[in-house]
Amino acid sequence: MKCDGRGYIMGDKTKSTIVKTMIYVFLILVAVIYIAPLLWVLMVSFKTNAEIFSSPFSLPESFYLENYTFAWTAGKLGIATLNSFIVCGVTLVLSMLIGSMAAFAIGRLRFKLAKPCMTFFLLGMMIPVHCVMIPLFTRFAKMGLSNSLTGIIIPYLTFSLPVTIFIMTGFFQSMPNELIESACIDGASIYGIFFKIALPLARTGLFVTGLMTFVANWNELLLAMVFISDDAKKTLPVSLSKFVGPYNTNYSQMFAAIIIAIIPTVIVYCIFSNQIVDGLTAGAVKG
Amino acid sequence: MEEHEMDKLLRNKKAIIIFLTPALLLFTVVLFVPICQSIYYSFCEYKGLTAPEFIGLENYKNLFKDKSMVFALKNSLFFLIFSCVSQLVMGLFLAALLTNIKKGRNLFKNIIYLPCVLSSTALGLLWMFIFSPKLGINQALEKFGMEGPLWLMDTSGFIILPMWVIAFVALWQYVGQSMMLYMAQISGISTSLYEASYIDGCNRAKSFIHITLPLIKPMVATAMSLNAIGSLKFFDLIFNMTEGGPNHRTEVLATHLYTQGFKYNKYGYASAIGVVLIVLCLLVTGLINKFMKTENYEM
Amino acid sequence: MENRYGSINTATDVTKTFQFFKGGLKMRKKLLAVILSAAMAATLLAGCGSTPDASDETAASDSGETATADNSGVQEITWMFWDDLTATEDLISKGYAETIERFNADYEGQYHVTTITTNLEEYYPKLNALVASNETPDVFIVSPGPNLTVYVEPGVAAPLDDYLAADGWKDSFTSDAVFSQMTYDGKIYAVPLNIAAACAFYNTEMFEAAGVKVPETWDEMLDACEKLEAAGYTPITISAGTAWCLSMVAGYLCEMEGVDLAALEDGSASWEDGKLESAAAKLVELSKYFQKTAAGDTNDVATANFYNEEAAILIQGSWAIAQINGSNPDFESKCGVFQFPGVERVIAKSDSLVMSSSTKYPEACTALMKYFTDDAAQKYTAEIGGKIPVTSVEYDASVAPAQLAYVMDVFGGAKGTFGFYNESMPSTEAGAYFDDTMVSVFLGDMTPAEAATDMEEFYAGNCR
Repeated sequence: MKCDGRGYIMGDKTKSTIVKTMIYVFLILVAVIYIAPLLWVLMVSFKTNAEIFSSPFSLPESFYLENYTFAWTAGKLGIATLNSFIVCGVTLVLSMLIGSMAAFAIGRLRFKLAKPCMTFFLLGMMIPVHCVMIPLFTRFAKMGLSNSLTGIIIPYLTFSLPVTIFIMTGFFQSMPNELIESACIDGASIYGIFFKIALPLARTGLFVTGLMTFVANWNELLLAMVFISDDAKKTLPVSLSKFVGPYNTNYSQMFAAIIIAIIPTVIVYCIFSNQIVDGLTAGAVKG
Repeated sequence: MEEHEMDKLLRNKKAIIIFLTPALLLFTVVLFVPICQSIYYSFCEYKGLTAPEFIGLENYKNLFKDKSMVFALKNSLFFLIFSCVSQLVMGLFLAALLTNIKKGRNLFKNIIYLPCVLSSTALGLLWMFIFSPKLGINQALEKFGMEGPLWLMDTSGFIILPMWVIAFVALWQYVGQSMMLYMAQISGISTSLYEASYIDGCNRAKSFIHITLPLIKPMVATAMSLNAIGSLKFFDLIFNMTEGGPNHRTEVLATHLYTQGFKYNKYGYASAIGVVLIVLCLLVTGLINKFMKTENYEM
Repeated sequence: MENRYGSINTATDVTKTFQFFKGGLKMRKKLLAVILSAAMAATLLAGCGSTPDASDETAASDSGETATADNSGVQEITWMFWDDLTATEDLISKGYAETIERFNADYEGQYHVTTITTNLEEYYPKLNALVASNETPDVFIVSPGPNLTVYVEPGVAAPLDDYLAADGWKDSFTSDAVFSQMTYDGKIYAVPLNIAAACAFYNTEMFEAAGVKVPETWDEMLDACEKLEAAGYTPITISAGTAWCLSMVAGYLCEMEGVDLAALEDGSASWEDGKLESAAAKLVELSKYFQKTAAGDTNDVATANFYNEEAAILIQGSWAIAQINGSNPDFESKCGVFQFPGVERVIAKSDSLVMSSSTKYPEACTALMKYFTDDAAQKYTAEIGGKIPVTSVEYDASVAPAQLAYVMDVFGGAKGTFGFYNESMPSTEAGAYFDDTMVSVFLGDMTPAEAATDMEEFYAGNCR
């Protein structure tokens, strides 16, 4: 009975191919369900508003590019994207650092108040942002932080901490003990252990939480709308809402703006998410 | 001997403080105080621009008489259960599939995760179009001679059709996240374990059940907790698809909170709803942790 | 078999650790670099954030023109609005953008206004947040009714009688009636900018083809709908699921039955006195003539039904004129307007400006508000925006949309105005409750009698 790393026994090749084909067929079906609506958004972004209501699912009569130029200039999407990148990027780095430090402490270091600490942080995850928005805004205004990017970075960071800590604690807890033991023996300090061993080992976790944090903050609307008044500092979701007028919505321009907004997001998250599955060793099959 | 040294290292008080302080400080100053303020307001009548007046448990008493609150609770709980179960099953299934193929793994993974990244406003509008009575799916169904139901307006039944529709759209949007978490955990399982099992004659399915599933149990607990809290707090998609209508039938706790607080300026009452939400979240997380008590497996 | 270094697979573990260690070092360097740049970015931003951005561009000008370099002496005020001024396609909003530009240009060196814009949905939350933190915008827009009361009661809105009396500003308005909805205890707290009336738009061609004339009584209305249906047209298109749309019709029907909101508020009348019941019953009757998908259609779709010639009558506010003509320019010639039959008054709504009572520069604020009610702005309102001006300005009726003339006729012929029902009740919640009750009746979830009892209960518990 020969067995190789691919995990099947020689002779079962046909059975495995059928299974593989079925898997691929299923995945392609799923992919279609995911891409079709988005393709529709793309198609609609080339139509005029009137066309959308008369024949929403047919191909556009002509490729009406004005939607894009209008969305970009009037919506000031360029600056908005930059602001979003700054805000989400800084939040990302800071939350990963601060969050993983706290997670390491709760997950690995030994002290009595670990569990209550975790629950304390979890409270932050459970509160809906609407509840705390006005008290938060009032205090930030008093500190002179209203209408500034720093003023939204701090709440975003704080809201991202609970999730980061929650997930990273899990990753730190499932680290093999031997590595820490051997590092201890080699005389490493706790900081050395954290930076040189724990963080790299939990790299996947970092990327996962980083991705989730980035994405959640990228799409956040309410705080950004309330905290920021200057047009030059508005983030992307706020700019997208500009196309919803008081009486009716400019769907075609809004969808054009959405398409413009998707592209950088997709690039960023592709980079991140590919890192996550890098950990899968080539050739290995996991059941 | 080494155990004692390691223990000393891991109990280093100074290190603990340094590691914990930034997060604790930030969190307490920025979030904890407003949370406490919110809890205080829930015991007050607070109309926004005038000072809050303490009224004790009035808000909570009114909560139980509020028809919309009943809908909101019912819908939120439905959502919670549907979301946890469906995301667990679909997420695991997709993760298992994707970790087993080489070609196209990244492509499919990215496609499935894509909706997570998109703004719920955009997606809400998109699906509203697709499910609108004359356009969208119904138009396609007409070509086949069938008349589609009023997807987002039908108010019959215990759990009305719009809730199911929204629940499926939410699944569509967020299953990628669960899948990603499971994939991350699976990727950490050492291949030697699988090799050992194949040498012992296990087939794929068996090794999945006996190796993969137990080892990702901690992540299942995490992912499910995140799902649970997320579904109780769920706001964006519902608000953009139906705004809680028709007539508050698709209201959930978060939309009810928003309407009461920001549309009617009843901040005290809204804070009370918020407190109910927090309590529910704590309960559910506690329950999940209890059921999924895991040991730390060596991976 | 455990040894000092752990489990069986020592070799793999050590290689892995080595790899991770190498990766870790690189990662640590990368991490440090990222943190440093983030710190730099953060300090830059902190610098950006804390300087008061006094000389920022207004949203209206793309070229980023700023006020004169020497800002001393220029009075800076803020103006808050519920639509973005550059990205909007709404003609009235565009008119406001022009007004702001004119003001800044004419008063350069003396006054300067910065705009704060949000989406309609987030407008009141943001305004309330600003008020709560003492950053109330100097001038802001508001819908009269309970929305305005929220700012009048705590003293956030400033009374404007003295300013209106000076320089004959008040006399430029068409009548004192335009201030009726914003007067509290005899003092005026907001200035209206334009008026929109809710009426019935109709497709003149369809009416002709079905042999229908414009209805003037309730029975004629039902009759007209019958004839239209017999001729194969959908009589009425409406977004019955959108509460405020249905509420317009419900409001008119209540008016027809003689419902008196003021009496209901102080308790001298009851919702159960039969008037609401018959109004609701009429609503059910009329709803037989709504389009099939009325329950599910959004307002955009319902309006599209009308200008795509799929239905004969649309009951909407005159703000829809711009939308109709903009989406289907050919339709203007076929679009007529009639007063909702059987009522003598017209539902009217106005955009109004409020001045903050804590503003530092009331003269600048009133100067700004005057620009919105001056001839140039009011002419634009009528000729291009298609809304009814509040001042007795002369405008060129031939340039204005055709429907505006008809609306003006309706408006002129009416014996008075009343507000949207959901904006005339003691609180926004009461208004929303009324709307929802009417939708329930339409959907068949409640009988008219139940609706009446329900409203009375709500009022007894919350409003009296």
